[in-house]
Formats: sequence, C-alpha cells, structure tokens
Amino acid sequence: MISKIIKRTKISEWAYIVARVRVMKRKLIPRDEYAKLLNMDLNEIARYLEETEYKKEIDELAFRYSGVDLIDHALSLNLSRVYSKLIRISKGLPRDLIVLYLRKWDFWNIKNILRGKMFGFTNEEIEATLVPAGEFDEDFFKSLLAKESIEEIVNAFRGKPFYSILEKILHGSKLSDVEDELDKFYYTSIAGLSAESLDAKYFIDFIRMEIDIVNMKTILRLKKEGVPAEEIIPKIVPYGYQLTEDEARKLAAMELEEIYKAIENYWFVRDLREVVMTQPMSKIENALTRIWAERMIKKASNYPLSILPVLSYMLLKKIEVDNLRIIARGKESGMEVEDIREQLVIV
Amino acid sequence: MAVEGMVAVGAGLAVGLAGIGAGLGEQGIGAAAVGAMAEDPSFFGRGLLMTVIPETIVIFGLVVSFLLMFM
Repeated sequence: MISKIIKRTKISEWAYIVARVRVMKRKLIPRDEYAKLLNMDLNEIARYLEETEYKKEIDELAFRYSGVDLIDHALSLNLSRVYSKLIRISKGLPRDLIVLYLRKWDFWNIKNILRGKMFGFTNEEIEATLVPAGEFDEDFFKSLLAKESIEEIVNAFRGKPFYSILEKILHGSKLSDVEDELDKFYYTSIAGLSAESLDAKYFIDFIRMEIDIVNMKTILRLKKEGVPAEEIIPKIVPYGYQLTEDEARKLAAMELEEIYKAIENYWFVRDLREVVMTQPMSKIENALTRIWAERMIKKASNYPLSILPVLSYMLLKKIEVDNLRIIARGKESGMEVEDIREQLVIV
Repeated sequence: MAVEGMVAVGAGLAVGLAGIGAGLGEQGIGAAAVGAMAEDPSFFGRGLLMTVIPETIVIFGLVVSFLLMFM
C-alpha cells in the first residue's frame, strides 16, 4: 500500500523541477529593464547581456561574431541550452512532457533548413536560426546543412511519421503548405492524445490553448491580407481549446467585423477588441501572445505542482529571446525607439 | 501479552508512524529545496529550514513514546 501511495503522489518529481524553474524564472530580464535596453546601442546591449544569463554564450562566440550576429547566435545558443537543461534536470512524467513539447523545435529547425536551402541562404545564416532542443541534436542538423539537395535532406527523415508530409516537397507542393502541414502534424499529434492523468491533461489543455492562439493569429492575419476563406480553412489546426475546428472554419468564412463580434466570449479576447480594430497585424499578434503568456502565468500559479510552471517558463524565455532579438535587429537597422518598443511583448 | 509489552509496541508505533508521515511530507519539500539550491545556493538556509519543519511531528511522536514508556 505504501508503495502505491508513493507511486501515486510522485510529488518530488514535480517539486524539484518546478522549484528549479521558478528560480530560473527570477533570472529572466525584468520588464523595467527593457526601457533601459531600448536606449542602448548594439555594443552596450552585448555588454549588458554579458552581465546576465547570456554571459557564457556571448563570451564563447565573441571571437567568431560581432555586433548583431553575435547577439543573434548567442540568443539561439542560450535558448537551446536552457531547453536542453530542462530535459536534463527532469525525470519521469515531467521529462516526457517537456520532450514532447520541445519537438516543436525539430519542426522549426526542419522548416528553417528547407526554407534557407530553397532560397539560397548560406549555411551559416541558417545555422544561426537553429535551436536544437528537440529529438534531433545539433550534429544531426549540421549534417543536414551539409547536404546539397532538398531531396537528400527530406530523405534523412525516411521512416519518421512526418516523412509523408516532407515528401510532398519533392512532388511539387508549395513549401508554405508543407510548413503548415508540419505545424498541424505537431499540434494534432499531441492534442489528439487522450489524457491518462490530470498532469497529462494540464499539458494537453496547454497545447490546445496554444492551438487557439495559433488559429486566431492565422485567421486574423490572412483576413487582414484579404485571403479568401477556402485558402484559410486548410491552415486551421484542429483540437482547439475553446475555438473548435468547426467554429474556426466559420470564423474564416466571416468578414473581419463579424469576427470581432463572434470571438467576444473567448478566453483570449480580453482587451483585444480595441487592438484588433485599429492596429496592424504585428500588434495584434503581440497582444495575443501577451494575453496567452499572462494567462499561463496565472494558471501556473493556480496549479503549482504541475507541468504548467515549466511550460510558462519556456514560453517566457522564448518571449525574452524574441524581444532581445527584436531590439538588437531594430537597433542595427536604425529603427526609432518607439517603433521597436511596439514590436516587443512585455509581460 | 503483558501491558508493558503493549505499551512498548505503542511507543514504537508512535515514533515509527510519525517518522513515515514526516518522510512523506518531506519528499516534496526536500526535492523543491534541493532544486532551488541547485539554481541558487543562497536558498540553502531557507531550504533547510523548510525541509525540517515536518520533523516536528516526529518530535511529538517521540514525546508520546517517552510518556508511554516512563509514566
């Protein structure tokens, strides 16, 4: 009986990883610091980052790169190291769920390599965007980069469940369609699982909420661009949390004004109306991401001994890296401080 | 069994069960404390303090067993 109790609770697995993640979360760049960062030049930003968690990566790469390239490479490297660290320090169910979530980055890397190769970017440029945090490691992706043709790259995935999707490129499908299908494959493969326990349910609900956000972004972006409904519908990911596939299809067929009314009661719409009506798409996407992150932080504090604090940390880390990248890129291209600030997601 | 024997068994149970209970309670706290310390060693003091709080239950058990044995 005692072994049953101990097996059932397994509190220690959650407590360990959650406590570590909470301390790691304290080390993220606080929101007030962004105002300071926005007023720095590139070198100052690099120096600032040297005093934070990015020190190791900046030091390691400083002799190879400089300026914005250095920051870019250091951010990618740090992100993938943080994600690998999460896998390393967890065990049991938390580890399985983290690994499952991080498979997203495999698809991200595959998409970047295919796109980069097709549009003639150099291997070094593609490498800067890679975040080897999922099932495949850095060496595997480097070996892909070394391959000459798209066919060879696709063939490297022979035997994987998503091979049939990748294969379509060789038969003349558009890259963007294949990318959409890869995303769809990733989300449906997780959201379609049946939750065996409460812990798994929290995780699947998280993914399903992410699907809501992804679908909403897709619909709004394409609607704003005036894309017809028939082209939007195939891009919708099923298994949404509140926004089911059918509802999303209906939204895709509506006019923009009707959409605002129809989505009023969804969880992600708080404060969104004003933004959606007046602002450009990038701001709407940022608003959705911010609402998403805030919602996750709240949910994570409601369920402290679950996967949610870990997932919300991963989300916040990604947002931080994106913000820093936007600041660095913006500074390099001489954008105004206000314009850069508008692109940031400050949670 | 004589009464003394039963008292001894009771005293043993008081300490033993309290120990198991405290152990179960500590598993989560200990894991969290070690996790926090691994990231930031300054959590050592607080982590240690939190970890030993369930030990008080064992002290109650010990007191009860002393009362049983010596009163």
